[in-house]
Amino acid sequence: MESVPAPTTNRNTAAQPGNVSLLVAKLAGGIVLWAFLLLIFLFTLFPVVMAMFGSFKTNAEVTTGATFWPSVWQFHNYAKAWKGANFGQFTFNSLFVAVVTTLGSLLVASLAAYAVDRKEFVGKKLFVAILASTMFISIGAVVLRPQFELMVHLHLQKSLWGVIIILISGHAATFFTLLGFFKGIPRDLDEAAMIDGCTVYGIYWRIVLPLLAPGLGVAGLFVFRNAWNEYILPLVFTMTKPSLQTLTVGLASLRYGTSAAAETHIMLAGACMSIIPILVVYVLANKSFISVTSGSVKG
Amino acid sequence: MKNRKHALAPYILTFPSLFLTLALSIYPIGWAMRYMFYSYPGYGKMTFIGFDNFRRLASDEMYWHSVLNTLVYAAGKIVLTLPIALILAVILNQRLRGRHLLRAIYFLPTVISTAVMSVVFYVIFNSYNGILNQYLVKYGIVHANVDWLGTKFAMLTMIIIAVWGAIGNYMLLFLAGLQNIPKDVYESAAIDGANGWKKFFYVTVPMLGPVLQMIVLLAITAALKGYESIMVLTEGGPIGKTEVMYLYVYKLFFPISSAGGAVQQQIGYGSAVGFVSALIVGIVTLGYFYLSRRLNNLQD
Repeated sequence: MESVPAPTTNRNTAAQPGNVSLLVAKLAGGIVLWAFLLLIFLFTLFPVVMAMFGSFKTNAEVTTGATFWPSVWQFHNYAKAWKGANFGQFTFNSLFVAVVTTLGSLLVASLAAYAVDRKEFVGKKLFVAILASTMFISIGAVVLRPQFELMVHLHLQKSLWGVIIILISGHAATFFTLLGFFKGIPRDLDEAAMIDGCTVYGIYWRIVLPLLAPGLGVAGLFVFRNAWNEYILPLVFTMTKPSLQTLTVGLASLRYGTSAAAETHIMLAGACMSIIPILVVYVLANKSFISVTSGSVKG
Repeated sequence: MKNRKHALAPYILTFPSLFLTLALSIYPIGWAMRYMFYSYPGYGKMTFIGFDNFRRLASDEMYWHSVLNTLVYAAGKIVLTLPIALILAVILNQRLRGRHLLRAIYFLPTVISTAVMSVVFYVIFNSYNGILNQYLVKYGIVHANVDWLGTKFAMLTMIIIAVWGAIGNYMLLFLAGLQNIPKDVYESAAIDGANGWKKFFYVTVPMLGPVLQMIVLLAITAALKGYESIMVLTEGGPIGKTEVMYLYVYKLFFPISSAGGAVQQQIGYGSAVGFVSALIVGIVTLGYFYLSRRLNNLQD
């Protein structure tokens, strides 16, 4: 970022030689532009960097030190969080919820998208309208109660399966993302397979799913992120069963715990256990994250 | 036989999706519509009380206060987020060195959990030994600790945290809109002598038109609904200064640990409050939609 390239505005007027005031204006514009970019850059990274470095400091250094780098790297903070504060269990729970929710959502949404894109049936428009409506109507935490009571009937109210099923039920966005990807799979392929005697389900499994792989990857990223980061649902379902808490819930409960002031460094180490895996996913799949988000306003 | 199998297939394929949606998304709305006419503390007996919950709501100062807070919170978040996001998008839409890296960095907050970041922000903003105060005092910017989560600044702090998490998302949405503007419009504007600012106001903004409207609409609904970070950081406190409507709804349904303990669980009343809150979100969104269309028509 040290090399400041000339801003691309005013290209055709400022290029005239000898026009000093324009050149100054151009330079000032460039400085303002990069200062703005840098400011937002620092604003964005500061909390994340402080969490990362803070997780290697002692509690005293986090709460009074005003240091940037840890003076002595306290790697055992992570061991302490993992075992002592039960973050090992939380990590496992988070992973379980996120992986199963991702697989389940992709299955349910891709089956439905397959039917909607490739088949004609009575009630298709209504079905799509129902799915779309769930993305716009929100009555907040109210829905949690009936959802919870349904899970009580299934005896899943004290299990992460309740959380997973409810998360999978919110698959409308995944459905519409996958529907978009279906447009790119040629219909001739399933027609040819049909003639060769393949059943509807065989076509789904042998032809549609493999060809849908890029779409499944992209949509799966978002489901995984949302499930990994989900807070309120697992909070409600684990109120009486702390051993089932996910990383988000376990961490937030430290915030109001009795020893919160003495465990700031453990809190930060726990936060990093949630942040780092999703950051790794983000770094590896950055392009997909960005392409889907920008795709969501088109049309 | 084979034909019948074919006719059934779409229904079998859509069944899991439809079943889950009806049971866990649609049914709960109907459930709430019913319970809002009942008094039900969450255990024991439920009694039909007609519109009593709405009468109680009309004079519930705590709720209307939270509605006001929600509007302030949403307005603050949108007014700060959207201009910053739009400017970033316009800059990064040019051929600038390092633009891909910058986009990736600015988008980064949207992949991290709101609840987790709220805990981190607690460590940063907490007034007694927060990281921000340590720096401010160390470099002599302030002499005494600033009470970032106190009655005076708590709402502002919550807005800043919301802005932190939202900029990247809206930047990307704007970028997508910008990429749909044909390049030759800018070229002809440049020939007519338009400079950077003129291009921005006379070409970029009008050409973004419908996309801009869509993005503002998204931003309004998202801002009115958000309560997760407030729940983790302040639980609506101190003395209700950061209470927002959906957090209030949550408290009526589920007990909350400490600061927010003043709200008593009441399922029936909570349903009514949730319904009215959804109505408020709908009215604000439609209001914006109507106004922005009127404005567009006036311009033409």
